[in-house]
Amino acid sequence: MIGSIALRDWMGAFRTPVGWVSLAATQAILGYVLLKVLDEFTGPEPALRSAGLNLELTHNLYGTAAVVLLLTMPILAARALGGELRDGTWPLLASAPLTLAELLLGKFLGLALLVLPVCLLPLGLGLMLSGAAPVDPGLLAAASLGLWLTGLLFAAVGLWAASLVGQPVAAAVAGYGVLLLLSVVNRTELLGAPQLGALDWLAWNQHLFWFLAGVVRISDLTYFALLTAAFLALALRRLDNLRLG
Amino acid sequence: MVAPMDALLEARGLTRRYGRKQALRGVGFALSAGEVLGLLGPNGAGKSTCLGILAGVLAPSAGQVLIGGADMARSPLRAKRRLGYLPEQPPLYPEMRVDEFLRHCARLRRIPPGAIARAVARSLRLCGLAEVRRRLLGKLSKGYRQRAGLAAALIHEPELVILDEPTDGLDPVQIREVRALIAELGERCAVIVSSHALAEVQASCRRVIVLHDGRMLHDGPLNAPRALRLRLARPPQTAALRRLAAVATVTEAAPDAETGLYSVTLADGATAEQIATAAVGAGWGLLELAPEQTDIERIFFQAIGMEMPA
Repeated sequence: MIGSIALRDWMGAFRTPVGWVSLAATQAILGYVLLKVLDEFTGPEPALRSAGLNLELTHNLYGTAAVVLLLTMPILAARALGGELRDGTWPLLASAPLTLAELLLGKFLGLALLVLPVCLLPLGLGLMLSGAAPVDPGLLAAASLGLWLTGLLFAAVGLWAASLVGQPVAAAVAGYGVLLLLSVVNRTELLGAPQLGALDWLAWNQHLFWFLAGVVRISDLTYFALLTAAFLALALRRLDNLRLG
Repeated sequence: MVAPMDALLEARGLTRRYGRKQALRGVGFALSAGEVLGLLGPNGAGKSTCLGILAGVLAPSAGQVLIGGADMARSPLRAKRRLGYLPEQPPLYPEMRVDEFLRHCARLRRIPPGAIARAVARSLRLCGLAEVRRRLLGKLSKGYRQRAGLAAALIHEPELVILDEPTDGLDPVQIREVRALIAELGERCAVIVSSHALAEVQASCRRVIVLHDGRMLHDGPLNAPRALRLRLARPPQTAALRRLAAVATVTEAAPDAETGLYSVTLADGATAEQIATAAVGAGWGLLELAPEQTDIERIFFQAIGMEMPA
Protein backbone atom coordinates (compact mmCIF):
# COMPACT_ATOMS: atom_id res chain seq x y z
CA MET A 1 0.00 0.00 0.00
CA ILE A 2 2.71 2.46 1.08
CA GLY A 3 4.86 1.19 -1.78
CA SER A 4 2.04 1.73 -4.32
CA ILE A 5 1.61 5.35 -3.35
CA ALA A 6 5.39 5.91 -3.32
CA LEU A 7 5.89 4.27 -6.69
CA ARG A 8 3.09 6.26 -8.28
CA ASP A 9 4.55 9.53 -6.99
CA TRP A 10 8.05 8.56 -8.10
CA MET A 11 6.88 7.55 -11.57
CA GLY A 12 4.71 10.67 -11.76
CA ALA A 13 7.76 12.85 -11.11
CA PHE A 14 9.73 11.21 -13.93
CA ARG A 15 6.83 11.14 -16.39
CA THR A 16 6.63 14.91 -16.10
CA PRO A 17 9.62 17.22 -16.48
CA VAL A 18 9.83 17.74 -12.69
CA GLY A 19 12.18 14.86 -11.88
CA TRP A 20 14.39 15.23 -14.94
CA VAL A 21 14.74 19.01 -14.64
CA SER A 22 15.71 18.81 -10.98
CA LEU A 23 18.28 16.09 -11.74
CA ALA A 24 19.68 17.97 -14.74
CA ALA A 25 19.94 21.24 -12.81
CA THR A 26 21.65 19.49 -9.88
CA GLN A 27 24.09 17.74 -12.19
CA ALA A 28 24.97 21.00 -13.95
CA ILE A 29 25.62 22.78 -10.64
CA LEU A 30 27.62 19.87 -9.17
CA GLY A 31 29.66 19.55 -12.38
CA TYR A 32 30.65 23.18 -12.10
CA VAL A 33 31.54 22.77 -8.41
CA LEU A 34 33.64 19.68 -9.22
CA LEU A 35 35.62 21.60 -11.82
CA LYS A 36 36.25 24.41 -9.31
CA VAL A 37 37.51 21.89 -6.72
CA LEU A 38 39.72 20.11 -9.22
CA ASP A 39 41.09 23.43 -10.37
CA GLU A 40 42.59 23.99 -6.91
CA PHE A 41 44.34 20.64 -7.09
CA THR A 42 45.96 21.06 -10.47
CA GLY A 43 49.44 22.57 -10.55
CA PRO A 44 52.99 21.72 -9.52
CA GLU A 45 52.25 19.98 -6.16
CA PRO A 46 48.96 18.09 -6.44
CA ALA A 47 50.30 15.03 -4.60
CA LEU A 48 51.02 17.01 -1.42
CA ARG A 49 47.45 18.23 -1.31
CA SER A 50 45.82 14.88 -2.04
CA ALA A 51 44.83 14.36 1.61
CA GLY A 52 42.61 17.40 1.31
CA LEU A 53 41.00 16.42 -1.98
CA ASN A 54 38.46 14.07 -0.42
CA LEU A 55 37.37 16.59 2.19
CA GLU A 56 37.20 19.36 -0.37
CA LEU A 57 35.10 17.11 -2.58
CA THR A 58 32.64 16.14 0.12
CA HIS A 59 32.30 19.63 1.56
CA ASN A 60 31.82 21.33 -1.76
CA LEU A 61 29.89 18.71 -3.72
CA TYR A 62 27.70 17.48 -0.89
CA GLY A 63 27.31 20.91 0.67
CA THR A 64 26.08 22.26 -2.66
CA ALA A 65 23.79 19.23 -3.13
CA ALA A 66 22.32 19.90 0.34
CA VAL A 67 21.54 23.48 -0.68
CA VAL A 68 19.93 22.18 -3.89
CA LEU A 69 17.81 19.80 -1.79
CA LEU A 70 16.84 22.66 0.50
CA LEU A 71 15.61 24.56 -2.53
CA THR A 72 13.84 21.66 -4.26
CA MET A 73 12.39 19.46 -1.52
CA PRO A 74 9.72 21.90 -0.25
CA ILE A 75 8.47 22.26 -3.84
CA LEU A 76 8.46 18.50 -4.46
CA ALA A 77 6.75 17.83 -1.13
CA ALA A 78 4.16 20.54 -1.79
CA ARG A 79 3.54 18.94 -5.19
CA ALA A 80 3.21 15.48 -3.66
CA LEU A 81 0.63 16.40 -1.04
CA GLY A 82 -0.75 19.84 -1.96
CA GLY A 83 -1.04 18.69 -5.58
CA GLU A 84 -3.43 15.92 -4.54
CA LEU A 85 -5.58 18.41 -2.66
CA ARG A 86 -5.48 20.98 -5.47
CA ASP A 87 -6.01 18.56 -8.39
CA GLY A 88 -8.96 16.81 -6.77
CA THR A 89 -7.25 13.41 -6.46
CA TRP A 90 -7.31 13.47 -2.65
CA PRO A 91 -10.76 11.78 -2.44
CA LEU A 92 -9.31 8.76 -4.26
CA LEU A 93 -6.84 8.26 -1.43
CA ALA A 94 -9.13 9.42 1.38
CA SER A 95 -11.94 7.05 0.40
CA ALA A 96 -9.60 4.06 -0.02
CA PRO A 97 -9.24 1.58 2.84
CA LEU A 98 -5.90 2.90 4.06
CA THR A 99 -4.91 4.80 7.14
CA LEU A 100 -3.67 8.38 7.04
CA ALA A 101 -0.33 7.11 8.37
CA GLU A 102 0.00 4.72 5.40
CA LEU A 103 -0.91 7.53 3.05
CA LEU A 104 1.63 9.92 4.56
CA LEU A 105 4.36 7.29 4.68
CA GLY A 106 3.66 6.50 1.02
CA LYS A 107 4.16 10.15 0.15
CA PHE A 108 7.30 10.27 2.29
CA LEU A 109 8.75 7.12 0.71
CA GLY A 110 8.03 8.56 -2.74
CA LEU A 111 10.06 11.65 -1.84
CA ALA A 112 12.80 9.46 -0.33
CA LEU A 113 13.08 7.64 -3.67
CA LEU A 114 13.14 10.96 -5.47
CA VAL A 115 16.00 12.22 -3.27
CA LEU A 116 18.05 9.08 -3.90
CA PRO A 117 19.29 9.95 -7.42
CA VAL A 118 20.19 13.46 -6.23
CA CYS A 119 22.37 11.84 -3.53
CA LEU A 120 23.94 9.48 -6.06
CA LEU A 121 25.03 12.32 -8.36
CA PRO A 122 27.86 13.65 -6.13
CA LEU A 123 28.82 10.05 -5.30
CA GLY A 124 29.13 9.29 -9.01
CA LEU A 125 31.16 12.44 -9.62
CA GLY A 126 33.51 11.57 -6.73
CA LEU A 127 33.95 7.95 -7.77
CA MET A 128 34.62 9.09 -11.33
CA LEU A 129 37.95 10.41 -10.09
CA SER A 130 38.97 7.14 -8.46
CA GLY A 131 41.30 6.14 -11.29
CA ALA A 132 43.12 9.45 -11.30
CA ALA A 133 43.18 10.45 -7.61
CA PRO A 134 43.18 8.68 -4.20
CA VAL A 135 39.44 8.96 -3.60
CA ASP A 136 38.14 7.73 -0.23
CA PRO A 137 34.97 5.69 -1.00
CA GLY A 138 34.11 5.38 2.71
CA LEU A 139 34.08 9.14 3.10
CA LEU A 140 31.89 9.53 0.03
CA ALA A 141 29.52 6.82 1.29
CA ALA A 142 29.19 8.54 4.68
CA ALA A 143 28.58 11.88 2.99
CA SER A 144 25.97 10.30 0.68
CA LEU A 145 24.18 8.81 3.70
CA GLY A 146 24.23 12.19 5.44
CA LEU A 147 22.89 13.92 2.35
CA TRP A 148 20.08 11.37 1.99
CA LEU A 149 19.09 11.75 5.64
CA THR A 150 19.13 15.53 5.19
CA GLY A 151 16.88 15.09 2.14
CA LEU A 152 14.48 12.96 4.20
CA LEU A 153 14.32 15.64 6.89
CA PHE A 154 13.61 18.28 4.24
CA ALA A 155 10.91 16.03 2.78
CA ALA A 156 9.24 15.65 6.19
CA VAL A 157 9.33 19.41 6.74
CA GLY A 158 7.91 19.92 3.24
CA LEU A 159 5.08 17.46 3.88
CA TRP A 160 4.22 19.17 7.13
CA ALA A 161 4.16 22.56 5.40
CA ALA A 162 1.98 21.07 2.62
CA SER A 163 -0.43 19.68 5.20
CA LEU A 164 -0.71 23.15 6.76
CA VAL A 165 -1.37 24.98 3.50
CA GLY A 166 -3.14 23.17 0.68
CA GLN A 167 -1.96 25.64 -1.96
CA PRO A 168 1.36 24.25 -3.29
CA VAL A 169 3.19 27.58 -3.75
CA ALA A 170 2.23 28.77 -0.27
CA ALA A 171 3.22 25.34 1.10
CA ALA A 172 6.64 25.56 -0.56
CA VAL A 173 7.22 29.04 0.88
CA ALA A 174 6.21 27.78 4.34
CA GLY A 175 8.64 24.88 3.92
CA TYR A 176 11.47 27.26 2.98
CA GLY A 177 10.72 29.32 6.03
CA VAL A 178 11.05 26.38 8.41
CA LEU A 179 14.16 24.98 6.69
CA LEU A 180 15.91 28.35 6.65
CA LEU A 181 15.11 28.75 10.32
CA LEU A 182 16.62 25.31 10.99
CA SER A 183 19.66 26.42 8.98
CA VAL A 184 20.45 29.61 10.92
CA VAL A 185 19.13 28.70 14.34
CA ASN A 186 22.68 28.00 15.57
CA ARG A 187 24.23 31.26 14.33
CA THR A 188 25.53 32.29 17.74
CA GLU A 189 27.13 35.47 16.51
CA LEU A 190 23.73 36.73 15.45
CA LEU A 191 22.42 36.43 18.99
CA GLY A 192 25.62 37.42 20.77
CA ALA A 193 25.64 34.22 22.83
CA PRO A 194 28.73 32.00 23.16
CA GLN A 195 26.75 28.76 23.50
CA LEU A 196 23.27 27.92 22.26
CA GLY A 197 22.89 24.35 23.51
CA ALA A 198 19.57 22.98 22.25
CA LEU A 199 19.36 25.53 19.43
CA ASP A 200 22.79 24.43 18.24
CA TRP A 201 21.56 20.83 18.25
CA LEU A 202 18.52 21.80 16.19
CA ALA A 203 20.51 23.03 13.17
CA TRP A 204 20.68 20.36 10.46
CA ASN A 205 23.97 21.61 9.02
CA GLN A 206 25.77 20.88 12.30
CA HIS A 207 24.86 17.21 11.93
CA LEU A 208 25.47 16.96 8.19
CA PHE A 209 28.95 18.38 8.81
CA TRP A 210 30.03 15.20 10.63
CA PHE A 211 28.83 12.98 7.81
CA LEU A 212 30.78 15.12 5.35
CA ALA A 213 33.85 14.59 7.53
CA GLY A 214 33.31 10.84 7.20
CA VAL A 215 32.10 10.41 10.78
CA VAL A 216 28.79 8.58 11.20
CA ARG A 217 27.70 9.25 14.78
CA ILE A 218 24.72 7.74 16.56
CA SER A 219 23.80 11.19 17.87
CA ASP A 220 23.53 12.57 14.31
CA LEU A 221 21.54 9.58 13.11
CA THR A 222 19.25 10.09 16.10
CA TYR A 223 18.87 13.78 15.27
CA PHE A 224 17.72 13.09 11.73
CA ALA A 225 15.44 10.22 12.80
CA LEU A 226 13.85 12.25 15.61
CA LEU A 227 13.30 15.45 13.67
CA THR A 228 12.00 13.63 10.60
CA ALA A 229 9.59 11.59 12.73
CA ALA A 230 8.48 14.72 14.59
CA PHE A 231 7.59 16.60 11.40
CA LEU A 232 5.82 13.54 9.98
CA ALA A 233 3.82 13.22 13.19
CA LEU A 234 2.83 16.90 12.94
CA ALA A 235 1.80 16.38 9.31
CA LEU A 236 -0.25 13.32 10.29
CA ARG A 237 -2.02 15.27 12.99
CA ARG A 238 -2.76 18.09 10.60
CA LEU A 239 -4.12 15.74 7.90
CA ASP A 240 -6.40 14.16 10.46
CA ASN A 241 -7.68 17.61 11.38
CA LEU A 242 -8.27 18.40 7.71
CA ARG A 243 -11.08 15.82 7.64
CA LEU A 244 -12.77 17.77 10.40
CA GLY A 245 -12.37 21.02 8.42
CA MET B 1 -35.61 6.70 12.33
CA VAL B 2 -35.37 2.92 12.60
CA ALA B 3 -33.11 1.38 9.98
CA PRO B 4 -34.26 -1.81 8.26
CA MET B 5 -32.57 -4.99 9.45
CA ASP B 6 -30.76 -5.47 6.15
CA ALA B 7 -29.58 -1.85 5.86
CA LEU B 8 -26.20 -1.66 4.16
CA LEU B 9 -25.76 2.01 4.95
CA GLU B 10 -27.01 3.89 7.96
CA ALA B 11 -26.46 7.62 8.35
CA ARG B 12 -27.46 8.96 11.75
CA GLY B 13 -27.85 12.66 12.52
CA LEU B 14 -25.08 13.83 10.19
CA THR B 15 -24.08 17.40 10.89
CA ARG B 16 -21.19 19.27 9.37
CA ARG B 17 -20.00 22.79 10.07
CA TYR B 18 -17.48 24.83 8.07
CA GLY B 19 -16.59 27.52 10.57
CA ARG B 20 -19.85 29.33 11.23
CA LYS B 21 -21.61 27.91 8.21
CA GLN B 22 -23.61 24.77 8.83
CA ALA B 23 -23.53 22.71 5.65
CA LEU B 24 -25.45 19.71 6.96
CA ARG B 25 -28.02 19.59 9.75
CA GLY B 26 -28.95 16.24 11.21
CA VAL B 27 -29.30 14.20 8.03
CA GLY B 28 -30.21 10.57 8.65
CA PHE B 29 -31.37 7.71 6.44
CA ALA B 30 -30.76 4.05 5.72
CA LEU B 31 -30.14 2.26 2.46
CA SER B 32 -30.39 -1.42 1.58
CA ALA B 33 -28.73 -3.43 -1.16
CA GLY B 34 -30.54 -3.10 -4.48
CA GLU B 35 -31.81 0.42 -3.76
CA VAL B 36 -30.93 3.33 -6.04
CA LEU B 37 -31.25 6.53 -4.06
CA GLY B 38 -31.23 9.99 -5.59
CA LEU B 39 -29.84 12.81 -3.49
CA LEU B 40 -31.47 15.89 -4.86
CA GLY B 41 -31.04 19.51 -4.01
CA PRO B 42 -30.17 22.90 -5.44
CA ASN B 43 -26.50 23.92 -5.66
CA GLY B 44 -25.10 24.49 -2.17
CA ALA B 45 -27.71 22.28 -0.51
CA GLY B 46 -25.04 20.08 1.10
CA LYS B 47 -25.14 17.11 -1.30
CA SER B 48 -21.38 16.87 -1.88
CA THR B 49 -20.67 17.37 1.82
CA CYS B 50 -23.11 14.59 2.65
CA LEU B 51 -21.55 12.23 0.11
CA GLY B 52 -18.02 13.15 1.27
CA ILE B 53 -19.01 12.16 4.82
CA LEU B 54 -20.61 8.91 3.65
CA ALA B 55 -17.42 8.09 1.70
CA GLY B 56 -15.20 8.82 4.70
CA VAL B 57 -13.41 11.72 2.99
CA LEU B 58 -14.85 14.21 5.46
CA ALA B 59 -15.59 13.67 9.12
CA PRO B 60 -18.99 14.79 10.40
CA SER B 61 -19.10 17.44 13.13
CA ALA B 62 -21.73 15.19 14.71
CA GLY B 63 -23.46 11.98 13.73
CA GLN B 64 -22.48 8.53 12.64
CA VAL B 65 -22.06 6.56 9.42
CA LEU B 66 -22.36 2.76 9.48
CA ILE B 67 -21.58 0.70 6.39
CA GLY B 68 -22.47 -2.95 6.78
CA GLY B 69 -22.42 -2.38 10.54
CA ALA B 70 -18.88 -0.93 10.49
CA ASP B 71 -18.60 2.55 11.99
CA MET B 72 -16.78 4.91 9.62
CA ALA B 73 -15.17 6.71 12.58
CA ARG B 74 -14.11 3.62 14.56
CA SER B 75 -13.43 1.08 11.80
CA PRO B 76 -12.79 3.21 8.71
CA LEU B 77 -10.87 0.50 6.82
CA ARG B 78 -13.64 -2.06 7.23
CA ALA B 79 -16.28 0.48 6.19
CA LYS B 80 -14.32 1.83 3.22
CA ARG B 81 -13.64 -1.62 1.79
CA ARG B 82 -17.34 -1.90 0.98
CA LEU B 83 -17.81 1.41 -0.81
CA GLY B 84 -16.85 2.95 -4.11
CA TYR B 85 -16.90 6.73 -4.45
CA LEU B 86 -16.86 8.94 -7.51
CA PRO B 87 -16.55 12.59 -6.51
CA GLU B 88 -17.87 15.46 -8.62
CA GLN B 89 -14.47 15.87 -10.29
CA PRO B 90 -13.10 12.41 -11.21
CA PRO B 91 -9.86 11.91 -9.25
CA LEU B 92 -7.44 11.09 -12.09
CA TYR B 93 -3.69 11.44 -12.55
CA PRO B 94 -3.24 12.91 -16.05
CA GLU B 95 0.21 11.37 -16.59
CA MET B 96 -1.03 7.80 -16.03
CA ARG B 97 -2.47 5.46 -18.62
CA VAL B 98 -6.01 4.15 -18.06
CA ASP B 99 -5.09 0.53 -17.27
CA GLU B 100 -2.12 1.58 -15.18
CA PHE B 101 -4.36 3.93 -13.16
CA LEU B 102 -6.88 1.16 -12.57
CA ARG B 103 -4.10 -1.18 -11.40
CA HIS B 104 -3.02 1.55 -8.96
CA CYS B 105 -6.62 1.92 -7.74
CA ALA B 106 -6.88 -1.87 -7.34
CA ARG B 107 -3.79 -1.87 -5.12
CA LEU B 108 -5.19 1.06 -3.10
CA ARG B 109 -8.38 -0.96 -2.67
CA ARG B 110 -6.34 -3.89 -1.33
CA ILE B 111 -7.28 -6.30 -4.10
CA PRO B 112 -4.91 -9.31 -3.86
CA PRO B 113 -2.09 -9.09 -6.47
CA GLY B 114 -3.30 -12.25 -8.21
CA ALA B 115 -6.77 -10.81 -8.79
CA ILE B 116 -5.75 -7.34 -10.00
CA ALA B 117 -5.54 -8.16 -13.74
CA ARG B 118 -9.01 -9.71 -13.69
CA ALA B 119 -10.48 -6.78 -11.73
CA VAL B 120 -8.96 -4.25 -14.15
CA ALA B 121 -10.23 -6.16 -17.20
CA ARG B 122 -13.74 -6.38 -15.68
CA SER B 123 -13.78 -2.69 -14.83
CA LEU B 124 -12.53 -1.70 -18.30
CA ARG B 125 -15.25 -3.80 -19.91
CA LEU B 126 -18.01 -2.58 -17.56
CA CYS B 127 -17.25 1.09 -18.23
CA GLY B 128 -16.49 0.73 -21.95
CA LEU B 129 -12.85 1.70 -21.63
CA ALA B 130 -11.21 -1.26 -23.34
CA GLU B 131 -10.38 0.66 -26.49
CA VAL B 132 -8.68 3.53 -24.63
CA ARG B 133 -6.88 1.40 -22.03
CA ARG B 134 -3.41 2.56 -23.20
CA ARG B 135 -4.33 6.24 -23.53
CA LEU B 136 -3.10 8.84 -21.04
CA LEU B 137 -5.85 10.00 -18.69
CA GLY B 138 -4.94 13.62 -19.36
CA LYS B 139 -5.66 13.12 -23.08
CA LEU B 140 -9.13 11.62 -22.64
CA SER B 141 -12.38 13.39 -23.45
CA LYS B 142 -14.67 14.49 -20.61
CA GLY B 143 -16.90 11.44 -21.13
CA TYR B 144 -14.04 8.97 -20.98
CA ARG B 145 -12.56 10.73 -17.95
CA GLN B 146 -15.88 10.31 -16.18
CA ARG B 147 -15.93 6.64 -17.16
CA ALA B 148 -12.37 6.20 -15.89
CA GLY B 149 -13.46 7.70 -12.56
CA LEU B 150 -16.41 5.30 -12.48
CA ALA B 151 -14.15 2.35 -13.32
CA ALA B 152 -11.88 3.31 -10.41
CA ALA B 153 -14.88 3.49 -8.06
CA LEU B 154 -16.11 0.05 -9.17
CA ILE B 155 -12.80 -1.81 -9.43
CA HIS B 156 -13.24 -3.67 -6.15
CA GLU B 157 -16.90 -4.55 -6.76
CA PRO B 158 -18.22 -2.46 -3.87
CA GLU B 159 -21.56 -3.13 -2.23
CA LEU B 160 -22.27 0.58 -1.91
CA VAL B 161 -21.57 2.96 -4.80
CA ILE B 162 -21.64 6.72 -4.20
CA LEU B 163 -21.74 8.87 -7.34
CA ASP B 164 -21.59 12.66 -7.08
CA GLU B 165 -23.11 14.28 -10.18
CA PRO B 166 -22.03 11.37 -12.42
CA THR B 167 -23.58 12.78 -15.62
CA ASP B 168 -22.46 16.37 -15.17
CA GLY B 169 -20.97 17.71 -18.41
CA LEU B 170 -21.67 14.58 -20.45
CA ASP B 171 -23.36 14.57 -23.83
CA PRO B 172 -26.79 12.89 -24.23
CA VAL B 173 -25.33 9.61 -25.48
CA GLN B 174 -22.91 9.42 -22.59
CA ILE B 175 -25.68 10.34 -20.12
CA ARG B 176 -27.71 7.42 -21.44
CA GLU B 177 -24.76 5.07 -21.02
CA VAL B 178 -24.14 6.19 -17.44
CA ARG B 179 -27.84 5.78 -16.62
CA ALA B 180 -27.74 2.25 -18.02
CA LEU B 181 -24.66 1.52 -15.91
CA ILE B 182 -26.39 2.88 -12.78
CA ALA B 183 -29.40 0.68 -13.53
CA GLU B 184 -27.08 -2.31 -13.90
CA LEU B 185 -25.33 -1.49 -10.62
CA GLY B 186 -28.71 -1.11 -8.93
CA GLU B 187 -29.38 -4.80 -9.63
CA ARG B 188 -26.71 -5.97 -7.23
CA CYS B 189 -25.58 -3.12 -4.96
CA ALA B 190 -26.85 -0.02 -3.24
CA VAL B 191 -26.29 3.15 -5.23
CA ILE B 192 -26.49 6.80 -4.20
CA VAL B 193 -26.58 9.33 -7.02
CA SER B 194 -26.50 13.03 -6.31
CA SER B 195 -27.71 15.59 -8.80
CA HIS B 196 -29.30 18.97 -9.08
CA ALA B 197 -30.95 17.81 -12.33
CA LEU B 198 -34.47 16.56 -11.64
CA ALA B 199 -34.61 14.52 -14.84
CA GLU B 200 -31.42 12.73 -13.89
CA VAL B 201 -32.79 11.54 -10.56
CA GLN B 202 -36.16 10.69 -12.12
CA ALA B 203 -34.43 8.52 -14.74
CA SER B 204 -32.04 6.68 -12.45
CA CYS B 205 -33.55 6.40 -8.99
CA ARG B 206 -36.38 4.61 -7.26
CA ARG B 207 -36.15 6.65 -4.08
CA VAL B 208 -35.30 10.29 -3.49
CA ILE B 209 -33.97 12.41 -0.66
CA VAL B 210 -34.30 16.16 -1.03
CA LEU B 211 -31.69 18.30 0.68
CA HIS B 212 -32.06 22.03 1.03
CA ASP B 213 -29.84 24.31 3.07
CA GLY B 214 -28.29 21.26 4.75
CA ARG B 215 -31.64 19.86 5.88
CA MET B 216 -33.27 16.67 4.71
CA LEU B 217 -36.72 17.81 3.59
CA HIS B 218 -38.01 14.63 1.98
CA ASP B 219 -37.22 10.93 1.91
CA GLY B 220 -39.54 8.68 -0.04
CA PRO B 221 -40.11 6.53 -3.09
CA LEU B 222 -40.45 7.92 -6.59
CA ASN B 223 -43.81 7.04 -8.07
CA ALA B 224 -45.07 7.19 -11.59
CA PRO B 225 -46.61 10.61 -12.35
CA ARG B 226 -50.28 10.94 -11.36
CA ALA B 227 -51.17 14.17 -13.22
CA LEU B 228 -51.35 13.67 -16.98
CA ARG B 229 -51.96 15.84 -20.02
CA LEU B 230 -54.39 14.21 -22.45
CA ARG B 231 -54.99 15.42 -26.00
CA LEU B 232 -57.71 13.85 -28.11
CA ALA B 233 -58.56 14.35 -31.80
CA ARG B 234 -62.27 13.57 -31.33
CA PRO B 235 -62.99 14.64 -27.75
CA PRO B 236 -66.05 13.27 -25.98
CA GLN B 237 -68.08 15.04 -23.32
CA THR B 238 -65.98 15.64 -20.20
CA ALA B 239 -68.42 13.49 -18.27
CA ALA B 240 -67.54 10.52 -20.46
CA LEU B 241 -63.92 10.87 -19.48
CA ARG B 242 -64.84 11.25 -15.83
CA ARG B 243 -66.69 7.94 -15.96
CA LEU B 244 -63.48 6.04 -16.77
CA ALA B 245 -62.42 3.91 -13.79
CA ALA B 246 -58.79 5.00 -14.13
CA VAL B 247 -59.63 8.70 -13.89
CA ALA B 248 -60.00 10.48 -10.56
CA THR B 249 -60.47 14.04 -11.80
CA VAL B 250 -60.54 15.65 -15.20
CA THR B 251 -60.55 19.30 -16.25
CA GLU B 252 -60.64 20.78 -19.69
CA ALA B 253 -57.34 22.64 -19.91
CA ALA B 254 -58.18 25.35 -22.44
CA PRO B 255 -61.89 25.35 -23.24
CA ASP B 256 -61.77 28.62 -25.17
CA ALA B 257 -58.57 27.95 -27.13
CA GLU B 258 -58.22 24.35 -28.14
CA THR B 259 -60.67 21.54 -27.77
CA GLY B 260 -59.58 18.06 -26.79
CA LEU B 261 -56.92 19.07 -24.27
CA TYR B 262 -57.49 17.83 -20.71
CA SER B 263 -55.71 17.63 -17.37
CA VAL B 264 -56.34 14.20 -15.91
CA THR B 265 -55.47 12.83 -12.49
CA LEU B 266 -55.13 9.08 -12.16
CA ALA B 267 -57.29 7.22 -9.67
CA ASP B 268 -55.53 5.26 -6.92
CA GLY B 269 -53.93 2.14 -8.33
CA ALA B 270 -54.67 3.15 -11.91
CA THR B 271 -52.04 3.50 -14.63
CA ALA B 272 -51.68 5.77 -17.65
CA GLU B 273 -51.86 2.67 -19.82
CA GLN B 274 -55.48 2.11 -18.79
CA ILE B 275 -56.46 5.59 -19.96
CA ALA B 276 -54.64 5.10 -23.27
CA THR B 277 -56.41 1.78 -23.82
CA ALA B 278 -59.80 3.33 -23.02
CA ALA B 279 -59.23 6.33 -25.32
CA VAL B 280 -58.14 4.13 -28.20
CA GLY B 281 -60.98 1.68 -27.57
CA ALA B 282 -63.59 4.47 -27.60
CA GLY B 283 -62.17 5.88 -30.84
CA TRP B 284 -61.42 9.34 -29.38
CA GLY B 285 -58.22 9.69 -31.41
CA LEU B 286 -55.45 9.67 -28.81
CA LEU B 287 -52.88 12.32 -29.80
CA GLU B 288 -50.94 12.81 -26.57
CA LEU B 289 -50.75 11.34 -23.06
CA ALA B 290 -47.86 12.78 -21.06
CA PRO B 291 -47.00 13.64 -17.44
CA GLU B 292 -48.31 17.09 -16.52
CA GLN B 293 -45.68 17.36 -13.83
CA THR B 294 -43.27 14.56 -12.95
CA ASP B 295 -43.34 13.12 -9.46
CA ILE B 296 -39.81 14.33 -8.84
CA GLU B 297 -40.76 17.91 -9.71
CA ARG B 298 -43.73 17.73 -7.38
CA ILE B 299 -41.60 16.32 -4.55
CA PHE B 300 -38.76 18.74 -5.08
CA PHE B 301 -40.71 21.96 -5.34
CA GLN B 302 -43.02 20.95 -2.55
CA ALA B 303 -40.06 20.09 -0.34
CA ILE B 304 -38.24 23.36 -0.85
CA GLY B 305 -41.50 25.28 -0.46
CA MET B 306 -41.64 26.82 -3.93
CA GLU B 307 -44.80 25.21 -5.20
CA MET B 308 -47.72 23.28 -3.84
CA PRO B 309 -48.31 19.82 -5.21
CA ALA B 310 -50.52 19.54 -8.25
